[in-house]
Amino acid sequence: MLDDEILIGSLIEDSWLTIEQVAAACTVDPDWLLRHIEDGLFPNAESIAGVWCLSTTGLLRARRMRELERDFDAVPELAALVADLLEELDDLRTRVGDRRLR
Amino acid sequence: MEFKDYYQVLGVSREATAEEIKKAFRKLARKYHPDVSKEPDAEARMKELNEAHAVLSDPEKRAAYDQLGRGYQPGQEFRPPPDWDAGFEFSGRGFSPGEAADFSDFFAELFGRMGGARGFGAGQRANFEARGEDHHAKVLLDLEDAFTGATRQISLRSPRSDAQGRVTLVTRTLNVRIPQGVYAGQIIRLAGQGAPGIGGAPPGDLLLEVRFRPHPRFRAHGRDLHLGLPIAPWEAALGTVLPVELPQGSVKVRIPRGAQSGQELRVRGKGIPGGQGGAAGDLLLEIRVVLPPAETPRARELYETMARELAFDPRQLGRG
Repeated sequence: MLDDEILIGSLIEDSWLTIEQVAAACTVDPDWLLRHIEDGLFPNAESIAGVWCLSTTGLLRARRMRELERDFDAVPELAALVADLLEELDDLRTRVGDRRLR
Repeated sequence: MEFKDYYQVLGVSREATAEEIKKAFRKLARKYHPDVSKEPDAEARMKELNEAHAVLSDPEKRAAYDQLGRGYQPGQEFRPPPDWDAGFEFSGRGFSPGEAADFSDFFAELFGRMGGARGFGAGQRANFEARGEDHHAKVLLDLEDAFTGATRQISLRSPRSDAQGRVTLVTRTLNVRIPQGVYAGQIIRLAGQGAPGIGGAPPGDLLLEVRFRPHPRFRAHGRDLHLGLPIAPWEAALGTVLPVELPQGSVKVRIPRGAQSGQELRVRGKGIPGGQGGAAGDLLLEIRVVLPPAETPRARELYETMARELAFDPRQLGRG
């Protein structure tokens, strides 16, 4: 590819990603992801016409849970609990940031 | 290239047991976890820890590293001898090629050039076909870019196999056109820019996740823009029309009479423009009534006049 070639990407509709896309992006096994979704550890996963989909928030959650399981040998439920807390923390940080802007 | 002392990174001795290494890693991973750490260099330290752990927690890699690193000091100029890794088998468990792409050149030089079954578990078999993996990266934009579109240069380190199946980490620079109307969290797909396919299968895609740099005035939620709008008490009390500067252009906004701090005004369609047929976001203005200081005799006199003539007690509001 030439250095000055400009690539034009396509926007993924509504930022919903399939299990395979999330798995590839987070370098996890699609079966790992499917198992976790079926166990209810991804509360925002949606089944659209029989296909499981996750938003980009799910992408971050998958990455966090995978690291927790790998680095700390956390059982999936504990990894999900920590991911819940981190998401809560993200939300609070956003709100604090919002208040600072006002 | 400088020699990296992975034992020093984890704070363990060269004789540390696997259990001691695991314990040291977990202790430091907790300290430097980027989600919670207050350390300024937490992310960089976490990468270092992961890299050291990837080597020292794997008996084959650790043995090879120990043999190669004998006599080297941290930071010392280092160049591995050719075929230094002969006699070692690396299973590459724990970290994928994508994750290992974040590791240092030192790691890539030692363990990145492992061919075929000796690589990061990326073994290649004859007559085997598989589409390349999708890669994922973040692209950091200014909010203004969402209004105008932009071209961004993105550098990515990713594993590539050569004709002999040897894996190396290469840096690629891509010029990417960011379309107007993107918002944080959205994914831009660049077809065919992911990992190459195996056995003639097509390459994967590159998925770019859009992020905005913090903006001094605006905050974006999806395509909606939020802005705190300071107004004077008389503007709030009497109503007015105010110009509001947007990331691109400006808009005139009518402030209704009797506006109060904390109230939100929605201006439809003045957020981030719609992209590829999507609807534009809204501009949400949060009213903040700001009092002028009573620092001059005249200002104090005006406040005293109001106090005397308005008979206003905000603590009585809403008490019926």
